[in-house]
Amino acid sequence: MRKALWGATLLLAAAAFGQEFKVGSKVSDFTVFDLKGRPAAFSSLRGATTVVIFIATQCPVSNAYNERMNAVYRDYSAKGVKFVFLNANSTEPPAEVEEHARTHGFLFPVYKDQGNTVADRFGASVTPETFVITADGVIQYHGYIDDSQNPARIQKQGLRSALDAVLASRPVATAETKAFGCTIKRKKATT
Amino acid sequence: MKPAGAVLLALTLWAARPAGLLPLDEAGYRAALARQRGKVVLVDFWATWCDPCREELPVLAGLEKKLRARGFVLITVSADEPEQEGAAADLLRKTGVRPPAYIKRVKDNEAFINFIDHRWSGALPALFLYDREGRQTASFVGETAPAEIEAAVGRLL
Repeated sequence: MRKALWGATLLLAAAAFGQEFKVGSKVSDFTVFDLKGRPAAFSSLRGATTVVIFIATQCPVSNAYNERMNAVYRDYSAKGVKFVFLNANSTEPPAEVEEHARTHGFLFPVYKDQGNTVADRFGASVTPETFVITADGVIQYHGYIDDSQNPARIQKQGLRSALDAVLASRPVATAETKAFGCTIKRKKATT
Repeated sequence: MKPAGAVLLALTLWAARPAGLLPLDEAGYRAALARQRGKVVLVDFWATWCDPCREELPVLAGLEKKLRARGFVLITVSADEPEQEGAAADLLRKTGVRPPAYIKRVKDNEAFINFIDHRWSGALPALFLYDREGRQTASFVGETAPAEIEAAVGRLL
């Protein structure tokens, strides 16, 4: 009974969203959309090492990371890492995402995940939430950027540590961390 | 001012103060649940920055008021940063949420999340329901229909 109740009520990422991509598993191609609505295949955006980050315009936690996202993009783009920043919130239209990116001086393009299909396949549940994918398409890290919304209280780096390990061809010491932030505002199911 | 007047003023000021949030770690969580043994407990993890959490607070306060006499307790745990503690306390007061009200203060956030439930990603809002023996029987993560929460609580009362 208890297990049944858990199954019925849990909206935890993996089960609820039909998660397909997990740490250690291979990512197959998927489509995102630029802010003009043009489709782009992940295979055309990826590199030897690729970071997928789910972000938001209205989430204070995601916004607390705006500068840090710019910094990580700047630091690791210089090392050949490719980034795919994705907005999967059904409540944040492309025009808002574009304005937000301009206002915050993002150095990187942001794509829309229409119908949150990509978030579902990754099992992403919050913003910001990150994934590091290697040349062979395998997810080597999933979790937070770092462990504190307030930069003054950071104790653990997640994304940077993972990228450093991958770039040095070392195993990622902590391959999964608990991403925290606002829940991704998924498209309401139609019945 | 007469002594009685001073006492009255002091009491008035005390009553009008923002409800304080008690710091909570793993041991505190265990103790908070133990103090409610014999009651059905719903723990609400929330934060001021979380829109669905804010929307849910008055619903939960209403549920607590409705079911209090039947042995139902609502415990709130704010996941806010220390800078937001005042705002969190104010919001609880304005939405009629009664103590016990805590604010998460832990050394290792991930360890704490795993301690609560290793299946929990840490996403908010998150509700964890415990029966009268203190056993966790259900959880709700993300936006949840109030009727679903009430039905789960009702099954334990």
